Amino acid sequence: MNIEALLLSIRLALCVSAILFVIGVPLAYWLAYSRWRWKFLLEAAVALPLVLPPTVLGFYMLLAMGPRGALGKLWYGAFGHGLAFTFAGLVIASVLYSLPFAVQPLVASFETVDRKLLDASAVLGAGSMRTFRRIILPLSVPGIITALVLSFAHTLGEFGVVLMVGGNLAGVTRTVSIDIYDRAQSLDYAGANRTALLLLVISFIVLSAVYGVNRRAGRRAWAPWPLR
Amino acid sequence: MRITFRCVMLLSAMLVFRPAGAAQEIRVAAAADLQFTLDELGTQYEKQTTRKMNVSYGSSGNFFAQIQNGAPFDVFLSADIEYQRKLEAAGLAEAGTLYEYALGRIVIWMPANTRIDLAKLGWKALLDPSIQKIAIGNPEHAPYGRAAVAALRSAGIYEQVRAKLVYGENIAQAAQFVASGNAQAGILALSLAISPPMREGKRWEIAPNMHPPIEQAAVILKSAKDKDGARAFLTFLKSAEARKIFESHGFSVPAPGRASAQPQ
Amino acid sequence: MGPMAIAVSPATLVARVRKIRRGDASTLFVLDVQMEAPPGISILYGPSGAGKSTLLDCVAGLAQPDEGRIAIDGNAIFDSEEQLNVPPQARQIAYVFQNLALFPHMTVEANLAYGLVHEPEQTRDVRVSEILKMFRVEQLRHRKPREISGGEQQRVALARSLVTQPRVLLLDEPLTGLDAELKGSIIDDLRAWNAAHKIPILYVTHSREEVDALGERVIALEHGKIVSEGTPREVLDAPRRRWLAQAAGFENLLSGTVLDLREPDGVMRVRLVDAACEIEVPLGHAAPGDRVRVAIRAGDILLATEPPRALSARNVLEGSIASIEHRGTLVIARVDCGVVFTVHVTPGAERALELGVGKKVWLVLKTHSCHFVEG
Repeated sequence: MNIEALLLSIRLALCVSAILFVIGVPLAYWLAYSRWRWKFLLEAAVALPLVLPPTVLGFYMLLAMGPRGALGKLWYGAFGHGLAFTFAGLVIASVLYSLPFAVQPLVASFETVDRKLLDASAVLGAGSMRTFRRIILPLSVPGIITALVLSFAHTLGEFGVVLMVGGNLAGVTRTVSIDIYDRAQSLDYAGANRTALLLLVISFIVLSAVYGVNRRAGRRAWAPWPLR
Repeated sequence: MRITFRCVMLLSAMLVFRPAGAAQEIRVAAAADLQFTLDELGTQYEKQTTRKMNVSYGSSGNFFAQIQNGAPFDVFLSADIEYQRKLEAAGLAEAGTLYEYALGRIVIWMPANTRIDLAKLGWKALLDPSIQKIAIGNPEHAPYGRAAVAALRSAGIYEQVRAKLVYGENIAQAAQFVASGNAQAGILALSLAISPPMREGKRWEIAPNMHPPIEQAAVILKSAKDKDGARAFLTFLKSAEARKIFESHGFSVPAPGRASAQPQ
Repeated sequence: MGPMAIAVSPATLVARVRKIRRGDASTLFVLDVQMEAPPGISILYGPSGAGKSTLLDCVAGLAQPDEGRIAIDGNAIFDSEEQLNVPPQARQIAYVFQNLALFPHMTVEANLAYGLVHEPEQTRDVRVSEILKMFRVEQLRHRKPREISGGEQQRVALARSLVTQPRVLLLDEPLTGLDAELKGSIIDDLRAWNAAHKIPILYVTHSREEVDALGERVIALEHGKIVSEGTPREVLDAPRRRWLAQAAGFENLLSGTVLDLREPDGVMRVRLVDAACEIEVPLGHAAPGDRVRVAIRAGDILLATEPPRALSARNVLEGSIASIEHRGTLVIARVDCGVVFTVHVTPGAERALELGVGKKVWLVLKTHSCHFVEG
């Protein structure tokens, strides 16, 4: 049973969820409230990772991270070494891959906040920041939780992208999904089963805990998909 | 409505019923790094016989699992004879058909634009500070990976380069890591190094005695539908012509007489 | 409960607004108004779609007019020529929406304090406590909006808007759904507050009772244009639009054709459709041959059982009683003169005249009881 790989996966999922929250909220705010006529193009771009096979996305990330790619050049210039085969590389690739899972529930949540409440806030003297902090955010908690949980779960189970850019380095990029695959490839089916079962049990416990706590807090019912 | 219904029926019929009397084809499962080699072999084979060859490329480990669960292949070619031996032991392979068709060779490979003089430095090239990452196959389950590690140990530099190693799931992915520039060097299969996308790079051949032999074998599966066709294919693989093709693709071919290798 | 310190001097709201909105199916809605609201309550009255809410949104800064100027006491908050558009946050205008828009996740106290965030804490607490008392919702301080009744929510919404001491108050049908008693008490509180703080209040409503209870001035809006303004009596009792007449309770709305105009007499003669009768109504903007409508209150019509003589009234119509209905102490007689009139009389009159179905009667209409109505 590879605890190291499991801990690595959990660390990756936590980092990715946190980052997706930080960049997802402003992005979702813009998508929910902007009235730019070409907004739909950005919406489609955000949804793209849903369509692309993870290995395809991973492959292009690999190229982008290389010495010829824009991202690779930037990273090399800043840190003096490559981005592929590092934990940071996994984080960046996973953030891209899980982006729609964070942004879409947030957008749905922001859009369902009664516009009149926002008008009332403005008339009472609150600027956009205060309206966002005190009205929109508190009323979007179910959507925020959904976004965090989905980002976490999606990253935990990620395989294709990690496979393409990870390089399978123990403790650095050998996530639990890679580990399970490795064992199966080495014909160690028993080991693969043990690790898979552990992953399943831990994920189930975490998800149940989050959903359970949220329900007991007395909030209105919500689902992992956007409820309108 | 009626037109739609008819179209649906027609499409379904086309999918279900294949025209009878199509050329017989054998279904081959092959390791991914055999792509270029098998393409050429296949063309020759189809010219010489009336049969067609239908190849699926993938990871040997995956094929092994699938064959155990009834995947419909006739012949299985891999880069590691262990898979074929296990299938034989499990009774899933036709007895006596195990054939070691080639021995794999490994090389150190670097992109063409590298400043390192690989031809002169050989192993020492890997110690250059500009080499931050070295891609090899995964030693846990890829024979080329195991060979790479063994060769590095034989060369006495394994401990020094260990921290720089990154593992590809298979040798093809290791090649991808180096080709994309994310790894500055790699220990790859010769067959891959001389394939069209990689042949422009610099390579340095590693002596076969620095690592255990990479025995690549083929076997006919019990589940084969077309046993005659499969046997014909195997015979072709043993022919002089096929052996020439293997050699031109970077494999060394065992002398005739080693037709069915015994476990070492 | 002393009056709160008045922060601003009384001032008039002046608005000239022109806004075009494209609806669906290429319909165009044009709001084009010019109005003044002095300190006190001005009622915006009109059918739905007339543009009342749009006008309020423009004044509050939530919508932008295409052209115009809005100023309070001479200080412009919107001017299309000067490219001036003060954001709603800075206009110091309070707005109570139709759905109240109370923040559901905050207590009543937090809702009230929301607009006072720039005040020092002490002042904030004092102002919140005072307004809670003034609107009689002190005991609800720590409750959430969903935990209080409809009437209480309306008071809280009013309190929240007024605690910021705005220069103008906008109310969009704030009392819908409440029973008469509740409406009455809230209106009383609002008037009391208005007495202490004289600011322009724009009050949108559909309800005749609210107009009567509140109105100092009424502005009637239809299809984005002001069709009438003045006191409630002027706007509703001499209704210029059919919907106003209907709203104001004119039981008789008759169609007719203008025969001729008699300017020196200040009247015009109208032939009522479906009847052979002609009546005289006050002079209006019409030409002979125009189709017009005439509104007459049922209570303004006299009934006689003998042909009347030597009367000042110019309109005497002969007919017979088609039906009699009793509603409480009101007797409603329908009289057929070719056109059916609805007439209100007292039970005493009914007895004295021995009114019954089929009885021949004469109707007397004073010229000035006949109101010429457009549309």
